[in-house]
Amino acid sequence: MRLTTKSVLLGLPVLFGAALAAPAQDMSEAPRVNELEARLNVDSTLFNATIDEEPSDDMLELGRLVAMGGAENGGSGMACVTCHGANGQGDGAGVFPRLAGLPGWYMYKQLEDYAEGTRPNRIMTGIAQRLTEDEREAVASYYAVVEAPWPGPQAAAPISGDQLQWGGQLAAVGSAEQGIPGCVNCHGPNGTGNPPSVPYLAGQYAEYMSHQLQLWREGTRQNDAMGVMETIASKMTDEDMRAVSAYYARVRPGLESVTPPAPMDDGEVAEIETETSDLLSDVD
Amino acid sequence: MPASFSRRAVLLGLGASGLAAGAPGRAAAQNAYANLEGTPWFYLTDAEARFLAAAGDVLIPEDDYPSASQVGVVDFIDLQLASPWGKGDGLYLKGPFPDGATNSQGYQMPYTPAELFRTAISRIEEAEGTALADLDAAGREDLITRLSEGEMDLGEDIGAAAFFQELHSIVNEGFFADPIYGGNKDYAAWDMIGFPGAHAYYLSFVDQNVPYEKPPMGIAHIPGTRRSASLGASAGAARPANRTEEG
Amino acid sequence: MAARTLPKTDVVIVGAGWTGLAVAKELSAEGQRCVILERGDYRHDAENFGGPEEHDELKYARHKGHMIDTPTKTLSFRNNTSETALPMRRLGSFLPGKGLGGAGIHWNGQLWRPLPSDLNMRTHYTERYGAEILDGMQVQDYGVSYEELEPHFDFFERVCGTAGQAGNVNGEQNDAGNIFEGPRSSEYPNPPMKHSPPQKIFRDTAASMGYHPFPMPSANVTAPYENPYGAQLHPCTYCGFCERFGCGYFAKADPIICIYDTFAEEDPIEIRYRSHVLRVEKSEDGQTATGVTYLDQNGEEVFQPADTVCLNSYALWNVHLMLVSGLGTPYDPETGEGTVGRNYAYQTIAAAGVFFNDEVWSNPFMGAGAMGMTIDDFNGDNFDHTDLGFVGGGYISANQTNGRPINYQPTPPGTPSWGAEWKQAVRENYLHHIGIVCHGSSMPVQGNYLDLDPTYTDDYGQPLLRMTFNFPENDRRMSEYLVGKAEEIARNMDNVRAVSTVNRAAEGDNYSIVPYQTTHNTGGAVMGTDPSTSVVNRYGQMWDHHNVFVFGACLFPQNLGYNPTGPLMGLAYWTIDALKNDYLQNPRPLMDA
Repeated sequence: MRLTTKSVLLGLPVLFGAALAAPAQDMSEAPRVNELEARLNVDSTLFNATIDEEPSDDMLELGRLVAMGGAENGGSGMACVTCHGANGQGDGAGVFPRLAGLPGWYMYKQLEDYAEGTRPNRIMTGIAQRLTEDEREAVASYYAVVEAPWPGPQAAAPISGDQLQWGGQLAAVGSAEQGIPGCVNCHGPNGTGNPPSVPYLAGQYAEYMSHQLQLWREGTRQNDAMGVMETIASKMTDEDMRAVSAYYARVRPGLESVTPPAPMDDGEVAEIETETSDLLSDVD
Repeated sequence: MPASFSRRAVLLGLGASGLAAGAPGRAAAQNAYANLEGTPWFYLTDAEARFLAAAGDVLIPEDDYPSASQVGVVDFIDLQLASPWGKGDGLYLKGPFPDGATNSQGYQMPYTPAELFRTAISRIEEAEGTALADLDAAGREDLITRLSEGEMDLGEDIGAAAFFQELHSIVNEGFFADPIYGGNKDYAAWDMIGFPGAHAYYLSFVDQNVPYEKPPMGIAHIPGTRRSASLGASAGAARPANRTEEG
Repeated sequence: MAARTLPKTDVVIVGAGWTGLAVAKELSAEGQRCVILERGDYRHDAENFGGPEEHDELKYARHKGHMIDTPTKTLSFRNNTSETALPMRRLGSFLPGKGLGGAGIHWNGQLWRPLPSDLNMRTHYTERYGAEILDGMQVQDYGVSYEELEPHFDFFERVCGTAGQAGNVNGEQNDAGNIFEGPRSSEYPNPPMKHSPPQKIFRDTAASMGYHPFPMPSANVTAPYENPYGAQLHPCTYCGFCERFGCGYFAKADPIICIYDTFAEEDPIEIRYRSHVLRVEKSEDGQTATGVTYLDQNGEEVFQPADTVCLNSYALWNVHLMLVSGLGTPYDPETGEGTVGRNYAYQTIAAAGVFFNDEVWSNPFMGAGAMGMTIDDFNGDNFDHTDLGFVGGGYISANQTNGRPINYQPTPPGTPSWGAEWKQAVRENYLHHIGIVCHGSSMPVQGNYLDLDPTYTDDYGQPLLRMTFNFPENDRRMSEYLVGKAEEIARNMDNVRAVSTVNRAAEGDNYSIVPYQTTHNTGGAVMGTDPSTSVVNRYGQMWDHHNVFVFGACLFPQNLGYNPTGPLMGLAYWTIDALKNDYLQNPRPLMDA
């Protein structure tokens, strides 16, 4: 029944198969609040999680509770973890986006927009409407702090090398011919996000991302400031959307809570991670 | 690379103030030339490097935030002077260079930036009879002050105040420029003022009267860290994959 | 003469910036074959101006990555004829561009119209105050009226998707806009930009003092927009990298995305890059030009014949090209005779710096090139000049264009320029400061002019253009007056800890080619109705060679208190209109000399 609901509501060509196996609902995966607090010692993580003010223990506790489907006051009536996973890793089929480490401000705004209808969605609108202001803020902060394993480029659906190359080009420099600016203009280093208002694309599921681009293009989703994404999506073909989404699904997401390296004292330079090695594995 | 060369050793040879003042250990841990430690200077001599570290730290001394040399300004200058810019790209150098140029007419010295720094530093230290780095803190400040006021004879073709402008400018650039150029290590300068860097998107915030305490991200920011790749670390690291050079 | 002659074209256009691309767009639609010769390279907003790489202050703002490189193209400069002009060895005071889009890609997007009285300045001042108020100045009428230009200002504003608030639509005033502006035929195509907290304070303070604040008209677009050519522009993200940078967001109107991208495959337009025009060639009878000789991308000198020659390079280089080609009569400052190089003017810049306490956050890195809150109460002849001792004026505007950290280091008065105290001051004030610019006009005087340098040459062996300029006394008095007004507003603002002022035209200070002021060099090939005081007639057509049309700010008889792009593009579309609807059907002088 859940599968049916998903495919009907989202109108997506869901690929049935192993990837769609529902994520294990093992609550023990959910990080404890003291772990989350510790991650806030990294200033970029703190900034990522801060919506109105720095998240407190209580707020993270409430966020965790909301994610699990409970709440002291209201509650969504549905646990986030059911679809987005305890760690915010999302759904393997790519219908439900990865939430781990998304900017809290951005997620909070999405919940508001779901509730108000500028981002209509038959599942999320109802959920968001049932959440109180505090609960929206708390759960957004919670997912901004949590980390999730990344399934890696292997998990993404196959795509031709040419398409992937085109997707990478759109991501980096856009298209002069079509008047499309590159994604990296706004979406942070290698698409790893530009908090507080711009979500990461790196590591996001391709099906989710290309579907969102379609929603922008058709005007169903119109919840960004001044319509920037609508304008960009209106210039993209289905093929462009598939290509750039497939590209970003293969780019390693930002690791916001990685501890900064110790001061360099031995002349060694830390290895720089780029998306390149991740890309290679799936090019046919 | 020759194991015998150490940028840090060259600069730690500084005396009373600047880099090694107070807590040499801490300065050594902070300084950016660790990035290039073991790499010989691309352009500078050891003596020039010491002059620039000492002069840079007079202009931008250490306080709660690091000094010029501590964020890699000497590495920055070394890389700049070795670059096409240092060799005079963008500078019209045809003569003649007559006497009587006015301040309004701007740069009128018959030197590329690289040549200017070499010539001027050597003339300063010759005129003063000492290396800048060998002076104590007060002596360094005094020398730089006299230089800035043009009260030093650097020969007919280099005005002291004109050279000071170049020195001040390049130290300031090294301190505040994107870390890809070897200075502003770990965004120290941007942290100091509150500049969030190259990744910019402020549609929802530009009209808000609130602090915006976003940790900086430079052009070659390494996600999940407080660091940028830099020219000093790896010449190619500053350029993300898939970026085309030609239009 | 060149080694090789190419097949003739209908129109040859020198320079692929705003005016050159507009000419090609409009004349190709009439079936004219257009060849554009561009000194620089192809470049595009998507591929070449994208963030984060574009947001490189050292490369683009300090080392001027998008601008002309002085070893190949510069000028010499002196303050007056008793000095020896020396080469501008590197860029400073102004920043001409190079490459597709020209300086139009690195502008701020401050898009103005002139006041009606700016265009007939001599007549207007003479009627209101008597001719003696203009004594000692070569102030002239443009020869074309605001009413004639209005449709063209309007069109260009729509090409750019201009964001603003009209203050006068068909005579109906709106206090939210600029009540001093000439009547507009339509509202701005997009709503005004957002404004920062200090700008709102400026607005409220200026209003409380009886002034008339309004949002600066901006070519940084505020909503998804399609221009009349079909180009799609995107909303500005307030990234703070307009001036000196290209816009990778497609949000700052520029010649590439607004015009070039709308060229169709079948349009008879050819752009030749790395093509450096050496001179315009004249016919044997001297009545017309036959085409232009240029160095092609292989460094070979070639001749491109054309029926019509359009000069669309930067204001200064248009004048240079005329001088090295022997077009028109060079101006002689001794006798006042001759016209090419006459009436060179600049922009008179002063500013007040406002330092707030911690209650006010400017966050200067959030900004846009034309994010400004402005008053026009002291521009043009919007105020009574009786007994002021000067003519002209300027707008006063709280602008928040950028917080680039090398450039933007505001410190209160009395702070040393380096050392511990300076460092502390930069850190304390960076997030709590705004500048109020006084963007003043510039009047032509006999001793300010352009000619050829006797000593220095460019990379092509041609003499450099020589600029002789200092601020006229009129403009010094004007600037002092304006900065006094700006300071007064600043001191009346709430939460202000300190106010600083700077006046580039302060009494006793010579104009310096070093600190950046504006890329608003004007005059040298001015328009008018009298061949003894203008190079081109009121249509931008050369008096001496009727098939040579001249574009850009070199046409301005004197410089306005406004940024030049809007005015010069209005003039460009006016000239294009005359070409399309008159000249091309019957090539001849459009006015009797």
